[in-house]
Amino acid sequence: MNPASHPRKEPTPAPTETGPTPTAGVPIHVRPATLEDVPALVPLVLRLKRLNEEFDPLLKVRPDAEARASEILAHDIADPEAVVLATEGVGADKNRIVGIVRARIRERNFYLPEREGVILDIYLLPLYRRHGVGEYLLEEITKAVKAKGAGVLTAEFPVQNQIAVAFYHKRGFRPTTGLYSRPL
Amino acid sequence: MAPASAPSRDAAPKEEPRGRAPAPPAGETDAERTAALGERALSLARFYQGKIETVPKVPVRSLEDFSLWYTPGIARVSREIEKDPDASFDLTGRWNTIAIVTDGSRVLGLGDIGPVAATPVMEGKALLFRHLGGVNAIPLPIAIDSDEEFVETVLRIAPAFGAINLEDIASPKCFRILEELQRRLPIPVWHDDQLGTAAATVAGLLNALALTHRDVRRVRTVLLGAGAANLVTARLLLVLGHDPHRLSIVDQKGILDAERDDVDSLQLRNPWKYRLALQTDGGGRRGSFEAALHDADVLLAASRPDPNAVSPAMVRSMAKDPIVFALANPVPEIWPEAARAAGAAIVATGRSDFPNQVNNSLVFPAVFRGVLDARARSIPDEIVLAAARELARHAEDRGLGPEHLLPTMEELEFFPHVAAATAEEAVKLGIARRRRTRDEFFERAREIMHRSAALGAQLRASGLTLPLPDEPAAGGRNGR
Repeated sequence: MNPASHPRKEPTPAPTETGPTPTAGVPIHVRPATLEDVPALVPLVLRLKRLNEEFDPLLKVRPDAEARASEILAHDIADPEAVVLATEGVGADKNRIVGIVRARIRERNFYLPEREGVILDIYLLPLYRRHGVGEYLLEEITKAVKAKGAGVLTAEFPVQNQIAVAFYHKRGFRPTTGLYSRPL
Repeated sequence: MAPASAPSRDAAPKEEPRGRAPAPPAGETDAERTAALGERALSLARFYQGKIETVPKVPVRSLEDFSLWYTPGIARVSREIEKDPDASFDLTGRWNTIAIVTDGSRVLGLGDIGPVAATPVMEGKALLFRHLGGVNAIPLPIAIDSDEEFVETVLRIAPAFGAINLEDIASPKCFRILEELQRRLPIPVWHDDQLGTAAATVAGLLNALALTHRDVRRVRTVLLGAGAANLVTARLLLVLGHDPHRLSIVDQKGILDAERDDVDSLQLRNPWKYRLALQTDGGGRRGSFEAALHDADVLLAASRPDPNAVSPAMVRSMAKDPIVFALANPVPEIWPEAARAAGAAIVATGRSDFPNQVNNSLVFPAVFRGVLDARARSIPDEIVLAAARELARHAEDRGLGPEHLLPTMEELEFFPHVAAATAEEAVKLGIARRRRTRDEFFERAREIMHRSAALGAQLRASGLTLPLPDEPAAGGRNGR
């Protein structure tokens, strides 16, 4: 499967915003990320991690997070067991990277289905939200991990992120396993 | 209380004739005046032990009358309402009774003082409702631990009321609570710190724009401060057709833009501010307040009481004949004289001792009068704007000018007009239980307000309302 061949999507504007929205009907274009995209993807990943920091002290962002993000993205872009999709604007925002989804394939040793696609990072700049773009990213990543043999799609995010909870819940996800933490 | 002294919220006391007071230096004088008023208010509170009370509206000649006002006769009335709950607006005082509900989480400039300590303030508000709008307002401070409890509590007490006024609730939870209650209750729910202040600001701004020959659709505006009032003002400006690309909201972190570092966090914690971050881009301006203000036509500051928050140099950097609203109380973000010296064509503040007081007391009594008379089911932004426009129109009654942007609290005649405009808008929007013409609404509002004033005067004249103990016995002044 090649997401790049997917036609450009022009999501419909959010229905009941108050007042005019400068970005109504934002068009976007989703494609597999390349190594050249890494510098533009890193800030997006960092924005996501800095938001996570607010939810729990155990999610404090490391000082070397930027370098780590760069390494991990470069690694996963090349790794057949991972998918990194870049979201570009079109028109005036053409060639500007405005969103990212990164997922990895995990083997499930004891359960069926055996292979799981897990969304580790999903981030879209605020102006590009609320136009069905998130939904579209989810569809694209679903196709990509399915193509790699995943029979289940999961998402990891801070449990207090109510927006993420609502986003996934609305799209048929349910909580299955939990991750409880305690500092040592 | 004489109408002239009806205060704006948090406002510094009025003690000099309007317009004549030079900008007093910040600090002692104001603080001393405020302290003296505080002492007097305390001794009067001790003397009167409450500012409002319930008084019968029907004659009670003997205990026998209670077979009509109470059981057994009254059962018949209850049965009517059981059949049709809306009959409660005809058969009880619901049509004119509201609750002033607070959790005491942000009272005046005092912060989170809790519901009991908020009571004197709510009583004062109830008095303003009665005095200026003829509305029966019940102070209802509630002890709650969460937003959900707040909403649940108000839902449960709502059956007795024709409308709800939320008061002194911290931002941003005030937005969540207001939205939820507006969604779930079949009566108007208002939060004065959001809607009242924003409506008064918009009214003043409409006239300021007219005086400087500007069109709201073409001006560049900067809102300094992203609290409850300014966020609603921004929303209303967009409804009025203000170009979002020419609107910047500035808070302590600078210009609010869609890619600022804290925007993701806002989406979770303050979706109202988040939405505006996405909607307004000020033409791509980012960074400091100064960057936003350069060449702007309008500054609407509702931030913090600091007379140096806006410097004369910043005003000079604005477009020609700029409009400056410095609404922080008790001290504006820039003293009016300093703003004018720096070229401001029109200056407004929140204070009654300067010209152009932007005061929510100009709005809420009339808006409630209007929605109660129309028995409105809700109070959408169109109604808020209808009230603002009508208020703006009545500044012309005594000559619109750079020093007379809005009616003052001395000009009570405008209240029934604003009430009628509000009620008429409710009818237009199809949310009125009672449909009347604008003239009928006007007459009704005037009668109710007149009766309320007459009642107060009678009670004072008869001595049943005790004269102020620290003033010479009542003379003509009380007959007002």
